[in-house]
Amino acid sequence: MSGPVALKQPMTPVASAAASTEPVLQVRDVQAHFRTHHFGVSRDVRAVDGVTFDVRRNEIYGLAGESSSGKTTLIKTIAGAIKPPLEVVGGSIRFSFLPDYPGLHAAPPEVLERVRWRHLSYVMQGSMNVLNPMRRVIDTFRDFAWRHIGGSRRAFEERVADHVSRVRLDPAVLRAYPHELSGGMRQRVTIALATICKPEFIIADEPTTALDVIVQKDVLGMIRGIQREMGSSVLFVTHDMGVHAHLTDRLGIMYGGRLVEEAPTPEVFARPLHPYTTYLIGSLPRIGDDTPRKSLEGSPPNLADPPPGCRFHPRCPLAMDICSRQVPPMVETLPGHRVACHAVNPGAAA
Amino acid sequence: MLAILRDLLKYNLEFRIGIILVGIVIGLAGLSFFSPYPPTDVYVVAPDVPPSAEYWFGTTSRGQDVFWQLTVAIRNTLLFGLTVAVISRVLSLVIGLLSGYKGGWIDRALMAVNDTFIVIPLFPLLVLFYFVLRDSMSWLLLAVIMAALGWAYDARLIRSVAMSLKTREFTQTAVFSGMTTREILAREHLPYVMPIVFSTTMNNMNWSIGLEVTLSVLGFTDINTPTIGGMIYWANQHTAMVAGVWWWIAFPVAVVIMAFVGLFLLAVSMNEYIDPRSRLSRMGGGAR
Amino acid sequence: MSGYLAYLAKRLGQFVLVVFIGVNLAYVVTHATPIDPVEQSISAATSFGNTAPEAIEQMRQSLKELYGLGGSWSQQYLTFWSRILRADFGPSLSAFPTPVSALIGRALPWTMGLLIVSTVVTWALGNLLGGLAGYYQRNRALKLMGVVAMGLHPIPYYIVALVLLIVFGFVWPVLPINGGSAMNLPQGWTWAYASSVLLHSILPALSLILIGVGSWFLGMRSLVSNIVTEDYVQFAELGGVNRERILGSYVMRNALGPQVTGLAMSLGGIFNGAIITEKVFGYPGVGTLLVDAVYAGDYGLVLGVTTISILGVSIGVLAIDLLYPLLDPRVQVR
Repeated sequence: MSGPVALKQPMTPVASAAASTEPVLQVRDVQAHFRTHHFGVSRDVRAVDGVTFDVRRNEIYGLAGESSSGKTTLIKTIAGAIKPPLEVVGGSIRFSFLPDYPGLHAAPPEVLERVRWRHLSYVMQGSMNVLNPMRRVIDTFRDFAWRHIGGSRRAFEERVADHVSRVRLDPAVLRAYPHELSGGMRQRVTIALATICKPEFIIADEPTTALDVIVQKDVLGMIRGIQREMGSSVLFVTHDMGVHAHLTDRLGIMYGGRLVEEAPTPEVFARPLHPYTTYLIGSLPRIGDDTPRKSLEGSPPNLADPPPGCRFHPRCPLAMDICSRQVPPMVETLPGHRVACHAVNPGAAA
Repeated sequence: MLAILRDLLKYNLEFRIGIILVGIVIGLAGLSFFSPYPPTDVYVVAPDVPPSAEYWFGTTSRGQDVFWQLTVAIRNTLLFGLTVAVISRVLSLVIGLLSGYKGGWIDRALMAVNDTFIVIPLFPLLVLFYFVLRDSMSWLLLAVIMAALGWAYDARLIRSVAMSLKTREFTQTAVFSGMTTREILAREHLPYVMPIVFSTTMNNMNWSIGLEVTLSVLGFTDINTPTIGGMIYWANQHTAMVAGVWWWIAFPVAVVIMAFVGLFLLAVSMNEYIDPRSRLSRMGGGAR
Repeated sequence: MSGYLAYLAKRLGQFVLVVFIGVNLAYVVTHATPIDPVEQSISAATSFGNTAPEAIEQMRQSLKELYGLGGSWSQQYLTFWSRILRADFGPSLSAFPTPVSALIGRALPWTMGLLIVSTVVTWALGNLLGGLAGYYQRNRALKLMGVVAMGLHPIPYYIVALVLLIVFGFVWPVLPINGGSAMNLPQGWTWAYASSVLLHSILPALSLILIGVGSWFLGMRSLVSNIVTEDYVQFAELGGVNRERILGSYVMRNALGPQVTGLAMSLGGIFNGAIITEKVFGYPGVGTLLVDAVYAGDYGLVLGVTTISILGVSIGVLAIDLLYPLLDPRVQVR
């Protein structure tokens, strides 16, 4: 087989009809906190603290940042996986296919059931455990997708078999239990599962982290191929800058619960503006370059008690007086290139 | 340790109720030392007197003051539970730690025996013991027998903790620094399993007291040592319910239920405090 | 498939070990005592009435064999085993000359009926309610049930049975509190007899259920509240999978395995409870038989009930173990 994908079905009406330039996802100043009260200690962890960005149609938008940067909480919030102690404190999350609600968390259950998997699907972190160990793979497909695709059981199973072979899996895996499959096979199953309904928007949360390098490359190619075929948008989250360089169209960098820089991916790598981005890119290994990698002083901010002003300032080599007093606003410094840094945008403080 | 107790008292309702119940029961047991009557003497007061200002819980058909009799009975019952618990803790600690740390065939052999003791119905065996021993069945002997039969479930719990401790770095350090198995288990691992030992003590006491009450009520123990089960035994012998001497049964039953529920609540709240999973879920686990 | 065979062999091995250790315990118990149990038993038995001298001699013979007082040590041990394997415990002392095995055979259906029905009801009810309580954690009624379970679960069988006996026997006497059926009814497949059996089983069954439900409820609740944080449940929620489907096929289904194993593990304890409850309500099962046998000094009967109990519970555990792979597809690989 040449190339991973060759979709036979036409694009879904929703996706093709609205081929405007309007973004599929508009995130505006979203704040999501973990609020706990336990054994007399109240904690308010500001995991996501005012994030704004768009994901356009037919693009792969990357989110990068170290662990505890809030990126997982951000996509949980976007995916509407809000459970106590996590709370959405402010802001809005508008999907083009769900214009009436400021985010999935605000939509009623019957609307969610209609939207989930039809318009928005999800490839999860640690995909080893995302399939129910007690259920055959085909049953999982039925649970997730049958209500959207409809038709007879037989027709549905044929369609699933057809789709699964597109990610180069033997349709026999559908009769298997998850523990009978290898890690790479399971990951492909989840990708097939996420794309069976041809949703406009796919959230991918570290889908390749647990895989070895060869399988990783294969899986990334597959995601790219399917995305191009279907014209979906993908929000791709990983801490691995190398994966971002290969896959994503635009890239947002998160630090301490905030977005600090955003630009087309090649631009980020060619011209990083934020000192944290510079550090992230500088830590990537390059062939023939044997200068020692700089590591950052200090540790990621404690989001229960974040530093005032710019959250990066205690570790920043360019820190100035203003940095500890004022939160730097996100400014479009270059066309399509936004950054939140006092050193880059002097006098931009609002 | 004190800080944990204070936290539990302050924020855990189950622990608070448990402490109050167990406190009342222990208080009663403590009063037994001030009893005006020797505990085994009969016909020291007028029989069958209903609860009154003079006899708070009434008197029995054998002419004993139910209140003072009860204080001695609950003391002996608690002591019995504690004795069984202490002896069986030693057994389950040794077997659990060894099995979890050693692994391999030692683990398999010990756990096969362990599961056997979990499965075997112990009540008929205890009855058989009594049947053969009869009058030589003393209070202490019964405690030893029950401890010898009742360690298995907790040994399994301790084993699972020991297995996870084995993979921790400090165990490796201890191994490389030349400590023997006995030293590693006693010095390095024991402190980590102590919380479980405490919480299982409560449940084990409930188990052994429950069986002791049952055996005594049927007359299958040393009925001359006053225990809660023994009190109910004598009440049944005198058909107290039919005769309307309800206080002879109602008060011992109420007190022993308080002990059961109190001990159980203590075990549950301590477990909850120990279990990192449930603690983590309440703390929210932080942002990722 | 070889994985399944290995599992099978392991479970069978465990079964043999349980029976072996159990019977040996019974052997040791009866031999570790300095008292001459034969004469003691006979004097206890004969004190109840006039027994013919030849009958006493026959009893003495049978008891000696059971106690293994004849022949060398190894011979004694082998005789003990062979009699137990043939379920031959000699004639009963208290119901001479009825064989012990016949008495047990008569009592066993009562115990099994009571035990199986109440255990199935208890397990199903406790797990269903506990599962719901773990899934719908904010539901008031289920929370209240949790409090009740917490209060009821730690109380031993005897005490709950006694309280029910007092309540329904003296305070509000609406249910029969003694026996397996009405005294004057002939046994048979008649409506009157069946309804009488049913009515008499209510209190014993109720006390078994009241205590048992609590532990399954609490166990299942905490199991489920852990399972709902598993990746595959959260993923199914993100996938908009129907909530009832998630509760049934994702949450409860995955909790079933541990709870079935738990049932196998606690069968011995449940059996203990059943025989105690039987005695309290005078139910004509092996529990009542056992206790009365002790009172009557009937050694063969006590030993018989003890070994049959060990055997019966082990068979029950083995049956559950053998069914378990049908529940968990992963067993076949392990």
